[in-house]
Amino acid sequence: MNDQETYTACKQDKKWRDDFPIEWEGDNYVSRREMVKFLTLGSLFLAVANWLMAFAPRFLRRGSHNRQLLGLSDDLRRNGSALFRYPTAKDLCIAVRTSEGKLVAYSQVCTHLSCAVIYDKTEQSLFCPCHNGRFNLEHGAPIAGPPTRPLPRIRLEESDGRIYVTEREA
Amino acid sequence: MSTRQQGTVLFTGILFLVATTVVIQLWLLTVSMEALLSGAMRTLLPAAAASSVLLFVNAGLLRYVFRFDRQIRSSK
Repeated sequence: MNDQETYTACKQDKKWRDDFPIEWEGDNYVSRREMVKFLTLGSLFLAVANWLMAFAPRFLRRGSHNRQLLGLSDDLRRNGSALFRYPTAKDLCIAVRTSEGKLVAYSQVCTHLSCAVIYDKTEQSLFCPCHNGRFNLEHGAPIAGPPTRPLPRIRLEESDGRIYVTEREA
Repeated sequence: MSTRQQGTVLFTGILFLVATTVVIQLWLLTVSMEALLSGAMRTLLPAAAASSVLLFVNAGLLRYVFRFDRQIRSSK
């Protein structure tokens, strides 16, 4: 049975006509309309998702504010570093006292592929040995290698010869 | 060119236009996600606004399709 005979046979079958009340010639014509409707619905979902993302920062937990003792000030000498965990035991962090005596701390997890960054004394920066990523000590901003996002900053407070961890920025 | 052929060309054009705007919306969504993760919050609202404008364009085109169909049916 060729196409024309199939077409004629289907046209005569009333039950089939009730189930699919579309002419064969108009088949593509209808599909385009359906596709436009489907894409517009997708467009609605995408716009809603974009607005949800725009307001997401208001509902996300931003940082942590638990005060925690890191150690004695004398233990962290100039051009030295110390590792600690904050705010939970799973969150590795690194504190550095620069050669100028400034105290800074960042998350130790590289923002590229989550390797542990280490303090590079000669370059005065945080270095990720996995892919040669490098972050500056002033803001934790990426200055070399594949990382594009800065390291989350950990706020420290020094008083009475002790160093306290006070806040993790998001 | 018959009315049906003109309609086919018209709706193909509309379909491509809508598909292009949806791709742009997808791109805006990925840009927003990247901005959200990197903390660049000022990108989020303009991206959402642009996505809404594209949605209105799509809705307008869909409305045109419905109106076109209604006119064709009423003229028959």
